Amino acid sequence: METSLKISNISKAYPDCLANDNINLELKSGKIYALLGENGAGKSTLVKILFGIIQPDKGKIFLNNQILKLNSPRDAKKNKISMVFQHFSLFETLSVLENLILDSSEPKKSLENKIQDIINKYNFNIDLYTPVLNLSAGQKQKVEIIRCLIKNPDVLIMDEPTSVLTEQETKELFISLKKFSKEGILIIYITHKLKEVITLCDEVAVMRKGKLISISKVSNEKIESLANKMIGQNLKIVRKKRLEEKSNDQLIKIVNLNYKSANPFEVNIKDINFEVNRGECLGIAGISGNGQSELFQMLSGEITSENNSIVFDNRPIGKLNPQERRKYLIAFSPEDRLTHASIPQMKIFENVALNNFKSSDFFKGGLINEKKIKDHSQRILTKFSVNTENVELKTQFLSGGNLQKLLIGRELITSPNLLICFNPTWGLDVGAIHYIHETLIKINDQNKSIILISTDTEELFMLSDKICAINKGRISKVFKTTDVSTEKLGLLMGGQFD
Amino acid sequence: MNIDLNFIGIIIAAVMASSVPLILAATGELIVERSGVLNLGVEGMIIIGAISGFAFMMSTESIVIAIFGAMFAGIIISLIFGFLTQTLLTLHVPTGLALTIFGIGVSAMLGKNFVGLPGKEIPVFFENLDKITFIGPILFGHSIIFYFAFVFPFFVYYFLKKTKMGLIVRAVGDSHHVATDQGINVILVRYLCIMFGGAMSGLAGAYLSLVYTPQWIENMSSGRGWIALALVVFATWNPLKVLVGALLFGSISILQLHMQAAGVRIPVQFLSALPYLLTILVLVVISRDDRKIKLNTPNSLGKTFYKEN
Repeated sequence: METSLKISNISKAYPDCLANDNINLELKSGKIYALLGENGAGKSTLVKILFGIIQPDKGKIFLNNQILKLNSPRDAKKNKISMVFQHFSLFETLSVLENLILDSSEPKKSLENKIQDIINKYNFNIDLYTPVLNLSAGQKQKVEIIRCLIKNPDVLIMDEPTSVLTEQETKELFISLKKFSKEGILIIYITHKLKEVITLCDEVAVMRKGKLISISKVSNEKIESLANKMIGQNLKIVRKKRLEEKSNDQLIKIVNLNYKSANPFEVNIKDINFEVNRGECLGIAGISGNGQSELFQMLSGEITSENNSIVFDNRPIGKLNPQERRKYLIAFSPEDRLTHASIPQMKIFENVALNNFKSSDFFKGGLINEKKIKDHSQRILTKFSVNTENVELKTQFLSGGNLQKLLIGRELITSPNLLICFNPTWGLDVGAIHYIHETLIKINDQNKSIILISTDTEELFMLSDKICAINKGRISKVFKTTDVSTEKLGLLMGGQFD
Repeated sequence: MNIDLNFIGIIIAAVMASSVPLILAATGELIVERSGVLNLGVEGMIIIGAISGFAFMMSTESIVIAIFGAMFAGIIISLIFGFLTQTLLTLHVPTGLALTIFGIGVSAMLGKNFVGLPGKEIPVFFENLDKITFIGPILFGHSIIFYFAFVFPFFVYYFLKKTKMGLIVRAVGDSHHVATDQGINVILVRYLCIMFGGAMSGLAGAYLSLVYTPQWIENMSSGRGWIALALVVFATWNPLKVLVGALLFGSISILQLHMQAAGVRIPVQFLSALPYLLTILVLVVISRDDRKIKLNTPNSLGKTFYKEN
């Protein structure tokens, strides 16, 4: 049976913006539709309307030419519309099967058979009896997909599904999605990644600032043309000038760095050795959960180590805490912006001050020098083009891109000699990613160094002079980036070091 | 030396009897905590159960009414906690503490006229069989609450592991946001769990004032509510381990009493502290498995649930 979904004159306004401005779209089963747009373009609002989470101010939705009233996700599910959210909606401590049973009224036995059929049919490699917290991100997503498939959906909405997946997992996801599409499920795929549109989708609808800009066949589009539509201007491509001759001015040296964790959910770090010279960017690739976070914490001083295992500018610093390391002009940008790098409930200037709470400039005699901190924060906001001038704004109200600009700015305003960053562009929109990349290149141009731990291989190839991979807490040999192919790096990330 | 089997049987029976209120209150609280609610008012609910049970017994002379009356009183006072934390969104910890203080005060006030009155005889089961050597005093001649207490943890274990309702309780305790996404009425589930916990604490109190020491003494719960709370945590939210812990606590309490009576030359204060120390120690040791702890701990325990609009 063919499914058709028609979105007619949908509008939704929020106090500060028009999230959806008179959107018209017609979709038919058998195809995968991309809904492309930057963060804040209104695509999430649109699909939330389709799934009944948000009610539109104006406009109608028709499913198979019948008008559809969606007051809650329950109504959507009843009409066989399913959605996989960007952030997993799973009970971590319950087993896979328990998670799936909860959502269904079918008796356990027949449901279990049905689930097993789905798993076999699509080659999902999932044990129904493991607790969800032991699964990888890709597996968790499969559980979410199974939860949708149990209901035999006609429409499947995927909200930025690859933001937490590795390349391999992404490939597997695409294979499954293509199968679903062949079986007649209408798939709406929300993304801001252009490459994914090209490889996966049949048609693409581009949104910008709440408006639908274009609908076209993917076969008629190229990455550049889509990018221009999406950001409304020509995409500048950042390119790094690589130094021809290697600088030999060593800045930091890691010698036999080891860490054995008492926590079974952490990765042990084993015999890590590398060095970074001035003006260089060392990229550390790896699939998430291979010890990157532990390595970052050791480099930043959250986990201390033997004093001689980290030598910075000929001084051993392994035993120093982050604040002490900052005095040596080392700066850090952690992966998790909201829980690790900032306190979302505090204001911008307070977050800026927290980074530097020993500064006698900011604090005198136990009192806070608010004026100074605010001026300092203002400088960061201007210099790093954060899209607000209000230093009193709580950081939770900043978009991911603006928050990251603020956090990186907070680090760079002291012009450090070494910046250690971990997934600096994770989950950001194209504009912000571009900005961060340019900023990082600028640092190298000023003869300062970067250690870039990232799960995004494209980013690593673009920014790093030298590259290596981390696997299960071990690090591969360090190569010149120009000597390494994507395939080679993939093997290194998989742990095939020789 | 001649070992008197009958004497040992009587001691074991005494141990079991002393652990009944702990088992009841702790297992009830376990359900509450599994749904993500931390009710520190157990002590207050027990003492309210104790006075209500005793009062109902004295005025109606019906054990059935007394028991259900105590449970009902437990539910009512737990509903105060439920209304405050679930509807008015107060924080769990201070609300629970206030509930305990409130319960102790109210029970003392209500109990004014009952102080010093002798309690009524409570029917026991298989009375004439308790002359059998050893197993007689252990198995026979006990009240209905006693038997219930020793079946109850198995019941709760089965409920949590095998039934859909139990699964829903665990799910709500794991993440109230996800549960809401899945169409579960989080607040309703939590209200029901809180009421269940109240009923069980009330029953524990009834056991104290009707069976264990059949009279009303002010503050007669004497900290059992707190021990029950500790048992739940150290048993890592597993009802069977709660049973083990409660029995252990009971046996060491009884044993140290006998040691005191026998004049063992260990400071009395140390002996009195033994049950607390050893119970916690043993439970920590038998629960030493990080993975299991992580799986059993309700993720949203004690967190206030703000529903998104």
